[in-house]
Amino acid sequence: MPSGALLFQSVILGLLLGGLYALLAAGLTLYFGIMRVVMIAHSAFLILAAYLAWWSHSRLGVDPLLSMIVTVPLFFGFGVLLQRMLLARLRPVTLTMMSVLLTFAIALTIEGLLGYVFTGTQRRIQLGYGSASFGLFGARIAVVKLIAFGLAAVALLTLYLLMKKTTFGWALRATIQHRDAARLVGIETERIAGYGFGIGLATAAVGGTALALDTTIYPSLHWHWIGPLMAIIVVGGLGSVPGAAMAAMVLGLTQSLLQIPLGTTWAQTIFYLALFATLAFRPQGFFGGRLAQRF
Amino acid sequence: MTTRYRRMQWMTALGVTMTLALGACGGGSGESAAGGPIVIGISLPLTGDFSEPGKGVQRGYEAWAKITNENGGLLGRQVELKILDDQSNADRVVADYEQLIGQEQVDLVVGPFSTRLVVPAARVAEEYGMLFVEPAGAAKEVFEQGFKNLFYAAPAVANDHYNHLADYLLALPEDQKPKTAAYAAMDDPFAQGTAYGLKEKLEAAGIRTLVNEVYPPNTTDFGSIAAKIAASKADLVVGGSQYQDGVNLIVALQQLQYQPKLAAFSTAPTNPEFAAAIGNKTEGILSPTGYAQDAPYPSNQEFVQKYTAQFGAAPEEDEANAYTTGQVVAAAVTAVGCAEQGECQQKLVEWVRNNTVETVVGPLSWDETGKPKGAHMIQQWLGGEIKIVLPADAKEADLVYPKPAW
Repeated sequence: MPSGALLFQSVILGLLLGGLYALLAAGLTLYFGIMRVVMIAHSAFLILAAYLAWWSHSRLGVDPLLSMIVTVPLFFGFGVLLQRMLLARLRPVTLTMMSVLLTFAIALTIEGLLGYVFTGTQRRIQLGYGSASFGLFGARIAVVKLIAFGLAAVALLTLYLLMKKTTFGWALRATIQHRDAARLVGIETERIAGYGFGIGLATAAVGGTALALDTTIYPSLHWHWIGPLMAIIVVGGLGSVPGAAMAAMVLGLTQSLLQIPLGTTWAQTIFYLALFATLAFRPQGFFGGRLAQRF
Repeated sequence: MTTRYRRMQWMTALGVTMTLALGACGGGSGESAAGGPIVIGISLPLTGDFSEPGKGVQRGYEAWAKITNENGGLLGRQVELKILDDQSNADRVVADYEQLIGQEQVDLVVGPFSTRLVVPAARVAEEYGMLFVEPAGAAKEVFEQGFKNLFYAAPAVANDHYNHLADYLLALPEDQKPKTAAYAAMDDPFAQGTAYGLKEKLEAAGIRTLVNEVYPPNTTDFGSIAAKIAASKADLVVGGSQYQDGVNLIVALQQLQYQPKLAAFSTAPTNPEFAAAIGNKTEGILSPTGYAQDAPYPSNQEFVQKYTAQFGAAPEEDEANAYTTGQVVAAAVTAVGCAEQGECQQKLVEWVRNNTVETVVGPLSWDETGKPKGAHMIQQWLGGEIKIVLPADAKEADLVYPKPAW
C-alpha cells in the first residue's frame, strides 16, 4: 500500500500533468469542431513551438516564455493560411480521410525539417529554476510544472472567454454547431473557420512552450503525443473544448495514480482503454460534445 | 546533411576505385603480396538509424590507421581501411562482410556498430574463419551465440559496468553501508543490463530493493517515477539510463528534493551537455564509463593528442572503442607475425584468447565467449568536473560517499 505522502504527491503531479494535457488537446478538439478535420500535425506543431522556445533561449538568451510573443501570432497566421490554402480545398465528402493524409504529410515535413535544422540531438531548456520547487503540505511542486500549468490555465480561460463573450466566439460556435444555419444568418463561415484554425494552432504555440519547460525534446517526439491527445479529445467529446479539458484532467490524474501500482509502461495504456471504452459505450464522449455520431 | 551525403558519395566512389585497383593488382592470386598494404575490411552504419555512432566508430578506425601508419605500419606494411556502408541494415551488413572477405580478399576484418549488426556480421566472419574483434555489441546475446572468433574490444559488457562500484560499496564498514536502494531503468537491454548488474550484486549482499521501475524509451514525464523513488527514501538511486531519460529523471528527483547518499546513472552523466542540461546541479553523481580522455593508460595520451589534431575534437567512447579494436588486432598481428586469410586467422584468434592487450581503455583480456573480463571505470561529478574515482589504479580523485546534496 503506497503511503499517503506518495498518493498526495501523485495527485499533485497528476493535476499538473492533466493541465498540460488539457492545453495540448484544446487545439486538436477545436479543429475537429470547426472543420471535422483530424489534425495529425498538431503535436508536430507543439514540438516546433518547443524547439523555437529552446532556440530562443539557448541562442538568443531570451526566457523561453518570451518566445511566445513571436510564436503565438506566427502560429495563428500559419493556421489561417493552412486552413485557407490547403484544408478548405479538400472535398467535403472525403474531408475527414484526406485531412488525415494531408496533416500526416505536414507532420512528417515538420519532423524532417526539425531534424535537418536542429539535428536529432535531444535538447532541454536549461533554466536556472529548472529543478526549483516549493513545499505544499509535505508534497513538492516544481516551479516549471506550475508555470506550465499556469500557462495552460490562462490560455484555456482566454479561449473560453473568447468563445463565450465575443461576437467572433459566437460566430465560431455557430459555425461549429451548424455551418449552413450560420451562413444563413450572415456569418462568413469560411473566414471564421480560418481564424478558428489559427486559434487552434496558436494554442499549440503556448502548449509547445509549456512542454519545453520541463522535458527533453527531439524531432520525432510528436508521435509520442498524438495518441494520448486523440484519446483525450474523443473521451471529452469531439469538438468540445471544456470536454477535452475535463477529460485531460481526469486521464492525467488517473495515469499518475496508476503509475504507483502498475509502473510507467502500463499506466499509459489508460488513454487507449479510455478511448476504447468511449467508442464502445458512449461515442459522443463523456463531457459534452455532440459531434461524434457524425464522425 | 548535403556535406554528409557528398562525403558518402565520395567514399562510395573511392571504394569502387579501390576495388578496381585491387582487382587489377591482385590478379588471380587473391592475396596481397608481402610489402603491399594490409587491407582491413569494415562495414559501418554510415547512414540510417545508427549513423551518428557509426561515424564516430569510423573516425576511431581512421585515427587508428593513420597513427599506425605514422609509426611504421604493421609488420612493416602500411594499413589500409576498406569501409562499406551497411545503412544500419542487418541484411546489408552480411552482404558487406561476404563481399569484403570473399570477393575483395581483405587480409583482416573488424566489427561494425551496435549489437544488432555485430551478431550477423560475426556469423559471416565465423563462417570464413576470420578473427572478429568488434567495438560495439555489449549485450549478453552477443556472447550466447557460441562464436569462437569474436572478441569485444571494451572493458566490460553492460552487466559488469558497475562492478568496481559494487566492490566499493560492499567493502564499506557495516555502519556506513547503504541499506536500501531504488532502481529505474529504461526498457532497453543495454540500459537495464547496467542497472541490473549492480542490483544483483547489491541484493545478494542484503541491500534491499525498495523501488524497481522500468519505463519505455519514449517516456518524457518522470514525475511519477521520481515521486515513487523520493517517497521510498532509499539510500541509493541507480538509473539504467541512456541520455534524455537520465537527465529528465535527475531533474524530477531534484524537483522533489530527494537527497540520496549515492546517485549512479549510466551514460547520461558522461555526455558533454549533461551539466548544462540539469542546470549544473551535478554534485556527486556517479557514472560508469568505458573510456575517459584523461585515463592514465600509456597509449591513451597519444590517441587523444593525435585524434584531436586530426579531427579537431577530443575522442568519445565510440571512437575509443574503434581505436581499441584496432589496437587489439595490431597486437595480435605483431605477435603472430602474419596478416592474411587462411591459417593465419586461427593463430590470431588463439593469440587474442590467451593474452592481455594494453589499450587506450586499459589492459583487456577475454573469456572463452569473447566477453571482456574487466569492469568500467567509475566517474563522479566533483566540484563541477567529472573525475575518475574507481578503480584505484586509474583514479583522479577519491569517491565521495555519502554524496553531497545536489
